[in-house]
Amino acid sequence: MSRKSERLVNLTIALLATKRWVTKSQIFTSVDGYEGEPEAMERMFERDKDDLRNLGITIEVGSFDPLFEDEVGYRIRPESYQADIDSITPRELSLISLATQAWQGAVLNSSALSALVKLKSLGIDSDFDSIPAMAPVAHISDSNFASIIDAIAERRVISFTYLNVDMESESRAIEAYGAGTKGGYWYVAGRDLDKKALRLFRLDRVDSQVKSQGKAGAYEIPKDFVMADALTSPTKSHTAQVKVRRDKAHALRNRAHFVDEGDEWSTLKIDYLEESELVSDVLWHADDAVIITPESARSAAMKALNEIVKSHG
Amino acid sequence: MAKKTTPTEKAARMLDLVPFISSHQGIPTPELAAEFGISVEELLSDLNSLWMCGDNRFDLIDIQFDSGYVTIRNAETLNLIRSLSQQEIVAVLLGLDLIEKDLPEDREDLHGDIKGLRIKLGLEIARTVDATPAQDSQINSTISQALGRQGRLSITYYSPTDDEVSVREISPLHMSRFDNRDFLIAFCESAGAQRTFRIDRIQSATLLESKVVQMSETQSDNVRSSVSVKISRNLRKSRESLGTFISGEGSTVEVSTYSAGWLSRTVMSAAGAIEVTSSPEIRGEIASMARKALDLYR
Repeated sequence: MSRKSERLVNLTIALLATKRWVTKSQIFTSVDGYEGEPEAMERMFERDKDDLRNLGITIEVGSFDPLFEDEVGYRIRPESYQADIDSITPRELSLISLATQAWQGAVLNSSALSALVKLKSLGIDSDFDSIPAMAPVAHISDSNFASIIDAIAERRVISFTYLNVDMESESRAIEAYGAGTKGGYWYVAGRDLDKKALRLFRLDRVDSQVKSQGKAGAYEIPKDFVMADALTSPTKSHTAQVKVRRDKAHALRNRAHFVDEGDEWSTLKIDYLEESELVSDVLWHADDAVIITPESARSAAMKALNEIVKSHG
Repeated sequence: MAKKTTPTEKAARMLDLVPFISSHQGIPTPELAAEFGISVEELLSDLNSLWMCGDNRFDLIDIQFDSGYVTIRNAETLNLIRSLSQQEIVAVLLGLDLIEKDLPEDREDLHGDIKGLRIKLGLEIARTVDATPAQDSQINSTISQALGRQGRLSITYYSPTDDEVSVREISPLHMSRFDNRDFLIAFCESAGAQRTFRIDRIQSATLLESKVVQMSETQSDNVRSSVSVKISRNLRKSRESLGTFISGEGSTVEVSTYSAGWLSRTVMSAAGAIEVTSSPEIRGEIASMARKALDLYR
């Protein structure tokens, strides 16, 4: 039914058009769509206010006379209703247009579309010739992502279950600070209320619906929090020497910061964070790569190879 | 797309239609519907509803669309662009991040535009989001162009399983998305058969002048096989490394794969945490790989 939508639009017009406070009884007589018993109209109005608030429209409540608070009035300030974007250039609009295309078939598609429509309402033409041919893609169809964005906007605590390293579901509650993607995975960063520290969670390891709980404005995002920093990998502080066969082990060669090419074997220097990761990456290349140093990684690789021979031989 | 619109969503769209039409007077209905991502029927229903709205019964919004072109008058009160919601801002900011990281460095003008847009959209929100693309936006665009005009491509492709970077000439057939990754299905002229390429492993792509060659309906000739696997530790990491090709809960799973080579390498890389239990052939292959590697350490 479109009657409800019409009533919401009419209510918005009535509250936007006024400079003075409008009382509930004035609304019920002048805004089309309010009808029935007084209690029914009251309920209708309360729901409509909630719906408009969910659309981001703030209805102010005030009274004509501070001494008589019984007769409260309502209004919407055009300044708060209106987008605070004065001007964008045609080239900027083209970039925004391209940015929103990234969401085709992904979870924020309708938000991306409505954002673009609003900005195009400024009446500027795009200038696609001024930007290179690109097709950004945001791969995320997980509806938890939208819930997380809303929770960050409202500063509302979220809870979910998360698969730990042993694949057990653990309950987590966090104050979400930020969200983003790197290396094909999507993450939420926030303060884990149980661990009392900043943690990063991979969305594909969340195995429940993300639910928000408690009041809005329950926490502040620290002034120094930056999602890009939270997604930056820690510095790889160790260096290994790895021998690789000529023209083999491309993945390792790409990571090397030093290559000494030999006839049959080349020596690479590779930085790494965790020894177990280094061992895994080298073992992928089977007999095309050997760890030379550090000794601990070399013996870990030998131990793993012995185990594989034993279990598969 | 068949998602049903709630009355609130419809109201939001009606509010947004007013400033859009005001700045695009005379826009054809199909074009307007496309801008809002809705069908022409939905748009007409929105416009019919808007036509019933106004300051009061005697001062309605004057909206004309019978001719197939939409104009609006007497809508001054609503002729305001509504504030962007945080979801809308985040969608734009993340999209801009993805573009920025694939922009050529010498396009300082565009890098500057994106920085400026972050300020306009709100740095307080911008610092809470960040996106680094998993695949190159310019390569994506080249692939779309090839698909659009049925053109051929020359690609440089990296295959971790084969440990090789190859240059191939391909005729793209279609794209598919699986497990949040994009794949290009194409006829590979070098292999003489249909192949599937992970887009994030395409290192470069160039459009070729000639059109798609006549291709036979050859399917990929790889055989899919299923093997049993036991995981002894690092359960989450091991399951993730076996990807979406696994079925079964916990530590005993079935892995279905087209590539025994990939499975062997994955088992090697798991450093003893994964054991193939069913196929004597693959078990023998893995044992022999491990023995050869071990010889190098002795």
